[in-house]
Amino acid sequence: MTATSIERPFTVVSLLPHLLDTNGDAGNARVLAQRARWAGRAAQVVDVSTRADLPEHVDAVSIGSGTDAALLPARDALRTLVEELRIWSNSGVPILAVGTGWELLSWGIDLADGAVIEGLGLVAGHAVPRVSRATDDIIVSSKYGRLIGFENHARDYVGAEASPLGRVVYGTGNGDAPASGPQIEGLTMGEVFCTHLHGPVLARNPGLADYLLEAAFRRSGLSYSRGAMATSVDDTAQTVRNQVAVRLGQSAE
Amino acid sequence: MKSVKYAPAILIGRAVRVLARWRKPGGGSAIPGVVVNRIAPRFLADTLNGFPLGLVIVTGSSGKSTTTKMLVAVLRAHGLTVFTNQSTANISQGLTSALLERVSLTGYIAGDVAVLEMDEGHGAFIAGSLTPRVVALTNVMVDQIDRFHDSEMVAGLLAKIAARATETVVLNADDRYLADLAHTLGSSVRVSRYGVTADVLAQYPRGLGYADTATARLPSGMGLQLTGMAGRTAEVEFPSSGRHGVTLPARGIHYAVDALTALGAAEATLGESFDPAVACAALSAMPAVFGRGEVVTVGGKIIEFVLVQNPSSFQLNVNSLEAGTEQIIVIIGSDVRDPSYFWPVDTSGLGHVLIASGLKAHDIALQLAYDNVRVDRIEPDVPTALDAFLALPDPASGVKTIIFSADGMRRTRAHLGLVSNAEESV
Ligand SMILES: [Zn+2]
Repeated sequence: MTATSIERPFTVVSLLPHLLDTNGDAGNARVLAQRARWAGRAAQVVDVSTRADLPEHVDAVSIGSGTDAALLPARDALRTLVEELRIWSNSGVPILAVGTGWELLSWGIDLADGAVIEGLGLVAGHAVPRVSRATDDIIVSSKYGRLIGFENHARDYVGAEASPLGRVVYGTGNGDAPASGPQIEGLTMGEVFCTHLHGPVLARNPGLADYLLEAAFRRSGLSYSRGAMATSVDDTAQTVRNQVAVRLGQSAE
Repeated sequence: MKSVKYAPAILIGRAVRVLARWRKPGGGSAIPGVVVNRIAPRFLADTLNGFPLGLVIVTGSSGKSTTTKMLVAVLRAHGLTVFTNQSTANISQGLTSALLERVSLTGYIAGDVAVLEMDEGHGAFIAGSLTPRVVALTNVMVDQIDRFHDSEMVAGLLAKIAARATETVVLNADDRYLADLAHTLGSSVRVSRYGVTADVLAQYPRGLGYADTATARLPSGMGLQLTGMAGRTAEVEFPSSGRHGVTLPARGIHYAVDALTALGAAEATLGESFDPAVACAALSAMPAVFGRGEVVTVGGKIIEFVLVQNPSSFQLNVNSLEAGTEQIIVIIGSDVRDPSYFWPVDTSGLGHVLIASGLKAHDIALQLAYDNVRVDRIEPDVPTALDAFLALPDPASGVKTIIFSADGMRRTRAHLGLVSNAEESV
């Protein structure tokens, strides 16, 4: 542990929030920063649209979801940051990518009209059109706990079978239930986490948030322990998750 | 167009109207429209196109309802008789039924001008049939429904409606999609622009909520400008006659921009007869809008209602909240299906919320916590929460403020026994 790592604020990069915040996913950056503060560390969110916005140190990265009209401009902007993204993902900086933000990190996106948008190729797999949009609550069983969120996507994701985030208990996830094998949601690769659960996925599922924070703190030689404020806020999140679970015929936790 | 050829259709429509009311008092209002549209499909378009001062259409993602009401008030203040509507899902049947109430057997309606509020999706209805003199466009915003599509699509729908204008398209120059749309219009159509000044925009660091804000402001003298904004008071500069003050029906920059749209549309409709002083006085005399910053007294307590319909209006209302407001309750109901909906909003400006309530009480409390807003209590039951909130002694600063979604508003109104003065359809 060095003095500088404590002095400098915990820094979460929010990538392209102007283009990729349709479903409130950029809020995941502020969830990480706030939980770091509640754990006693100064923290900041840095919105990054171009290389010029990049802070010196990066502790965690959040990429949100946008409209299809934003796919190309977002992909082109992300391409200018591909070197950083590769370095971050190879060096264990936690990255959370949601919805189209995830799709852009993949090999590519097949559009309904037959066109293909080449992705950054950072994670395996690609996105393919669905017959109809998946828009509903989603429940996923994962090693970070039962994840409950809302999904809203017009494409499935294929190629994540080797390392999904979890198994779908209710909802669609990466695609409708296959003839054989489990119905899965999301993708993980090292500390890169990709999911369809949009909006405040980390606020509603603090188990996942704290996993990312522990990984990020560890890189600075620090240990993360949940703050007192987080404990009370997480009770609220638990209530929210239970409300959804019970409504969908699952048990409360 | 004032011929007797529609007399049979009108008579049948009226007969159906009477029958519909026998079956269900006060109801069945769309049924006569269905019948008349079937037997005389040109009746609606011919009647709407036939007003002496023509037809004016107000459309856009948000603010069209308020803008339409403002425009009607300004035109009436100039002595005109105005036929107008409230936007409904089935605009064709709704309008036909409304016209049947007013039309004579020769197809004549006493009136100078028709002002219609339309949804983006109504373009197909007017294409090929309506010929509006003036089309006024408010903005392109991403709302609960629209975010499942995209802004380009909404802009495309608005362009289709604008393309029907025969004389003037009034548009928001601060909205990049609308500013671009101006270049697609025919050369015979005049474009009347309005916008806010750089100084006014600077008061709203998070912007005005448009899907994409134009990079440049409208230069002075190139259109109607919002030159000042404080509380419910706006200052508008007319290129021809200088600056005028307007008292808005509620606090908020979006009302000021709605007023600009209405003034631009009124000027385009009235031409030489338009009087800025009359227009601004008419706007200032409008009653406060229920549920959007209306101040009411309940049991001797003064309360301000703030309705949040979408992330943009939530953000604008947070930003324009009076500083030091110390008693706030937020009621978010079942109408907010997806809790991520409001997450693009930075709610930190609320500072301290006494109670989070409604079916989504815990969801909104979670967001408030991450925005550093202190939440004292989470009480999903709306009547219980309201009783506790109203029982508190009067605040030392600010008024008791209730921020609610549409569902929260309905429950609040029902519990407090309040009747609305305007059923807003957005
Ligand atoms: Zn809409």
